[in-house]
Amino acid sequence: MQLPWTKTQQTRPNTSGGDGDAIVVSGLRKTFGDFVAVDNVDFRVKRGEIFGFLGPNGSGKTTTIRMLCGVIAPTSGGGTVMGYDVVNEPERVRENIGYMSQKFSLFQDLTVDENLRFYSGIYGLTPEKYAERRAYILRMADLEGREDELTGNLSVGWKQRLALGCATIHEPKLIFLDEPTSGVDPTARRQFWELLNDLANEGVTLFVTTHYMDEATHCNRLAFIYRGTIIAEGTPQEVKADLTADTILQIAVDRGEEALAALEELDSVDEGYMQGSLVHVNLGRRGAEDAGLREFLVDRGFEVGAIDRVEPTLEDAFVHLVTQQGGRA
Amino acid sequence: MRRILAIARKEFLHIIRDKRLLGVILVMPLIQLFLYAYALSFDVKQLPTATLDLDRTTASRQYIDALQQSNYFLVDGVLTSYAQVDNRFESGADKVVVVVGAGFGNDIAAGRAGNVQILVDGSDANAAQIGSSYAGALSRVFGSKVAISQIEQKGLNMSGAGGLTSSIRTWYNPEGISAAYFVPGLIVVLVTMITVLQTANTLVKEKEQGTYEQLIVSPISRIELMVGKIAPWALIGALDIIIIAVVGILAFGIPFRGSVGLFALSSLLYVICTLGLGLIVSARATSVDSANQLGSLIAFLPTFMLSGFVFPISSMPPVLQWLSYLFPARYFMVICRTVFLKGGSPAVLFPQIAALVVFAVVIVVLAASLYRERA
Repeated sequence: MQLPWTKTQQTRPNTSGGDGDAIVVSGLRKTFGDFVAVDNVDFRVKRGEIFGFLGPNGSGKTTTIRMLCGVIAPTSGGGTVMGYDVVNEPERVRENIGYMSQKFSLFQDLTVDENLRFYSGIYGLTPEKYAERRAYILRMADLEGREDELTGNLSVGWKQRLALGCATIHEPKLIFLDEPTSGVDPTARRQFWELLNDLANEGVTLFVTTHYMDEATHCNRLAFIYRGTIIAEGTPQEVKADLTADTILQIAVDRGEEALAALEELDSVDEGYMQGSLVHVNLGRRGAEDAGLREFLVDRGFEVGAIDRVEPTLEDAFVHLVTQQGGRA
Repeated sequence: MRRILAIARKEFLHIIRDKRLLGVILVMPLIQLFLYAYALSFDVKQLPTATLDLDRTTASRQYIDALQQSNYFLVDGVLTSYAQVDNRFESGADKVVVVVGAGFGNDIAAGRAGNVQILVDGSDANAAQIGSSYAGALSRVFGSKVAISQIEQKGLNMSGAGGLTSSIRTWYNPEGISAAYFVPGLIVVLVTMITVLQTANTLVKEKEQGTYEQLIVSPISRIELMVGKIAPWALIGALDIIIIAVVGILAFGIPFRGSVGLFALSSLLYVICTLGLGLIVSARATSVDSANQLGSLIAFLPTFMLSGFVFPISSMPPVLQWLSYLFPARYFMVICRTVFLKGGSPAVLFPQIAALVVFAVVIVVLAASLYRERA
């Protein structure tokens, strides 16, 4: 019988200090009964990168993260996280990562200090290390002097930063963030991204899922997952590159949803969707200034405001990619 | 080990912060103890009794005095004719009517058995049963010269038929105090309810809060999590056992005749069983509500109905008797009562303790395997 540690050393030559990629995934697949949640996914995340993992709800984002954290076993395929095999060494993987979900995972009936102390105990920090990390996290989360407050009484921005502190109390070099900003107001979101950028500058790898496309622009690289498959991967510029030759019009119109439905019937319109209260339509390579859309809409009784040609956004890219897959975002 | 301590400390904090929970753990057992000990009392004292003396001699008056002086009968009515008996029963004024027959004094004087009739309201079965036995016993004390014919109103007369003389001696609990019988049983019931329900809750709650998700991506193993979570409840279970036992002994004068060590050991085994059951519920339940329902089903029904707490197992239908073997409460019930009332050596209680060991092992292995499964 092979001892566990000898096996560990065989499968992991030379990666612990490592300059290998933070995450390497190949052929990762997970099925639940007949449902294919994640279908033969491959990607790599370099060390020190902010990697955005984007996709609509139910597209397989969380399932992928759970496999990478060693919480559920892949049906087939696999990968390494910080050099450790997610299938055979889930315990080592978990020691080397941080994880934060949108639920923040704090105990509401415990004080700030008690939460920190609990996670410090879970990760086995020495008392000296704990004192150091506690001071750092309280400063980072702007909670100095509020150590004895019940966590449940903190407002959401503080909770979020405290959750990040707890998730990183053991100073992991890789952090998974599963929709960390959903349900948080824009100011707190901006502050939170500043913290994430600080971490990235210290060389920490961040794996972030979000459905806020504006947040995706903070990422060094992105992967779009849709129905369990990665449909695009690259830097934000690379992902949008496909679209830069296309004409994308932004139309201000009353009754936007109805206008969108009418426009989608036109052959000249490849794709269309709502961006806030504005309608975005992609006319492909045709390049026409407004392709007679104003007359078309006015004829149908809409009140049309400005029609502007705009640079493609990540959201445009995403809609485009999903349309190509024959679905709707 | 440090991780287990971290979990256990956190669980204690949850408990201390939750005032309602503290009440459930510390106050509820005492309330239940007093409630059960008084309300569920099967002791019959001061039975309202009427007398009908058809003899009116010194002997008959002595007999009635003896009745009155015993603590069991409260003679609150003196009747003058049979016709009044029905009325006393129907109005609920009396449960027992003692009729001293004409010629009672003469018979006694002549060395014959005097004739006494005891009428009992059978609609209160418990009072009737005890009333008739006490009156019978009293008559024997009066000099074995009293022939008693018993009639139970509104019910069949089961005792007293035939000419047999039985002499009953109650061992271990000679005064027949219900509390002595109930308090040890109550330990089983309360400890089961508290430990099963609370552990059933604990894991589901974390799942609903999302903190479970965080814990399973940390280096903590499922077994460490499990041990850390049940450790505080094992202590609380022990605390509850001690509270009930001490109050039972001090306030109700319950004896404790057995070995403390043996009792502690079997309590430990039993608490392991109930905590394990709670964890199994918690691992399987999808919400706090369903955990509560499933938990109370598992905790309440078997311990209350099938452990012998209220209903003697030997008088249950065979199917239920068979079913009662499947729940650890039955064995711990026997141990508790034996240790308190009888004493009981390890050899005597060996089958029960062995059964608890088997249950503890099976339940813990099952709970652990459920926990080790990847979610």
